[in-house]
Amino acid sequence: MQTNTTLRPTELVGMRPPPLQPLWNGKVPADITDMRAADLPGMLALPLRALIPTLPPVIWAEDAALGPTDLEVIRQRAREQVLAIDWSRIQPGKSVNLIANPHGFYLSGEAYVVMLEETAAHLKNVCKARVRLRIAESMGHIENPDWVEHFKLEERFDHVKEVAQIARGIKAETRFGPMWLTHELFDADYFVHTHVTEMREGYLHRMLDRLYKPFGMAYTRVETRSAYHLGFGPRTGQMLARAVFESEFVQQRYVGTMVLDTTPEGVVGVHGDNDLDALNKRLTVSVLRNYGTLIRLMAAIDECICVFDGHGSGVYCYAGGIAFDNLFSANIDFLDLDNMGMLAMHKDDLTLPGLQPGMVMGFNQSIKYVVMNYMAAGVPQAFLFKAYPTVVVGDTLYKWHSNDPSSATFQTYAQKSPDLHSAMARAVKESGTDKVLIYDRTPGVLRVSESLANFLIQVAPAVLADVEQNRLPKWLAQRGLS
Amino acid sequence: MARTVTMLAEIIDAACTGCDLCIKVCPTIALSLRDRKPSEMGPGKRIAEVDPKACYNVQNCVEICPHDAIVMHELETPFTIGTDVSMVDASAIEDLAARAGLPSSAGICVCTETTVAEIAASILLGADTPEKVSLATGARTGCTEICAHGILSLLAAAGHERKAPTNTKSQFQMYEMCGSLWSNVGVDGAGAAAIIKDFPSYPVALELQELHELQTLKANAKV
Repeated sequence: MQTNTTLRPTELVGMRPPPLQPLWNGKVPADITDMRAADLPGMLALPLRALIPTLPPVIWAEDAALGPTDLEVIRQRAREQVLAIDWSRIQPGKSVNLIANPHGFYLSGEAYVVMLEETAAHLKNVCKARVRLRIAESMGHIENPDWVEHFKLEERFDHVKEVAQIARGIKAETRFGPMWLTHELFDADYFVHTHVTEMREGYLHRMLDRLYKPFGMAYTRVETRSAYHLGFGPRTGQMLARAVFESEFVQQRYVGTMVLDTTPEGVVGVHGDNDLDALNKRLTVSVLRNYGTLIRLMAAIDECICVFDGHGSGVYCYAGGIAFDNLFSANIDFLDLDNMGMLAMHKDDLTLPGLQPGMVMGFNQSIKYVVMNYMAAGVPQAFLFKAYPTVVVGDTLYKWHSNDPSSATFQTYAQKSPDLHSAMARAVKESGTDKVLIYDRTPGVLRVSESLANFLIQVAPAVLADVEQNRLPKWLAQRGLS
Repeated sequence: MARTVTMLAEIIDAACTGCDLCIKVCPTIALSLRDRKPSEMGPGKRIAEVDPKACYNVQNCVEICPHDAIVMHELETPFTIGTDVSMVDASAIEDLAARAGLPSSAGICVCTETTVAEIAASILLGADTPEKVSLATGARTGCTEICAHGILSLLAAAGHERKAPTNTKSQFQMYEMCGSLWSNVGVDGAGAAAIIKDFPSYPVALELQELHELQTLKANAKV
């Protein structure tokens, strides 16, 4: 396996978390955060590559310590992949919606924007189409940074619009019956689908038709999103997404897909295809290998305090390039399709007499405590505060979450601490562990306490071997891949 | 669990154009349009108005407003809402939940921890639309997304099926219940074979078998 020659651990150790940005709704998290968790005494930036040397080299990283930072590489790859797509369906003068997602902006930043720019440029200059950038928003949008402003999207694209999941809908008849999509994402003659392969919500999509997921979630209205959550089983929700994609409504408008392929360190490729199925199969193998190992490493953690200190809310907070939901759901291997992994709706679900292993997914009991130095509101997360002792740093953050409509019971569960040091002291004392994992969205490194770093270094070889020899072959076989 | 409301929406007169988008996205219909008073300087002849009793701090209006004309303020005196399940016969609640295919104890609205039983009780007490369910229970006043299918399922099981509006442009409070695996499999399981055939890469048969097993385990535990 080729190694990344730009890896310089000494620089990695000095990597800083990305700065906190002002939010869409005007709040300024940096003003209420006295210190970053990275500055707590004893915290280390443990390079993922030291744990998982099989990670492929990145072609772009947001920090030079992780790899090349020249966006021209992404631009060139995007140009090549755009040329690989057959755009002949689009006649001059036709309108095309280039559909983007906020997770792409959050995790891949300028690399994602550059991929969008190159796609839009081809559509405009070669296809002579009228191109609009449509951003498919989801819950929590107003608590996120304003990506349109941050990346100056209105200066870089002709027409930009953020489209909420509560906005006007349009009906698509599918294999499973009516589904409601978000009208303004599809109000053009054609559309282009874009995606990023980073691993979030794996417990929902289960790496089955993963690139189709926005057709069952991000591109739809609340009625359909809810049907995805409540109207299908844990391993069959993606059938909804596939059914929407295969609907006559979508097929009449779909042209092609552009994907930024990532690892926890950065971008490893840009892919384009008209055939979403072929693209999905091509990328599933590498996603399972690159992210699957890290997911199992999360599952190996025996005990830890989770410190949240970045954008994102609850399950959508990131550490080492991977979302918190992977740790939260790690009590079963959700990539193994033998495990149903039904989300526990009631605590009694976990102690049912006769319950088979893997049938119900409970909360990871290795998480012993939660400390919130900063975390966004806007996404339901009462289950998180209910599952684990939670302490929040400062009056203002506590108030922001107390007023969060998505976690109406927050005050029932969460406690308050005046500063990060006292919050950590309380968490360590009450949990009985000094293993700390910080979710501050730094890619390529796990920001951890020394005790957790030592633990991860110790268990990583066995996790790696288990994935390569046992789990990965099974995951691939279950998906008809080799 | 009862929902405590801590914030109230306020319209900024000078910014509101009376476009009515906020009205279409409020799950408790706390907003309406009225004529602008001479003292309320601003664009347009109409202006949005908030009913403080019905505003449950959902903030969908803040999200959708294209003119930044709505801000949230903390209430001096928060208020609590919810439906008392003891006001309804327990067997009727269980029956309605079973017809909707939902466990009565499940906290289906994850934002407010409102249970299926509480939503069923509100329906049995007269709530016949998703908006009335939200007003009575506080359910679907957070993310307004995850529990929508469950509320629509319970309403349909009670004979209050939501019909999609004929004009999707002027009405999009809530359209209708979407299709599901359960509705396609059917009570007698007759639809399963076609789904298994149409989706060969999914473990549909195993899923249905294990879901049935889980349901049986839960039923046995209840007995």
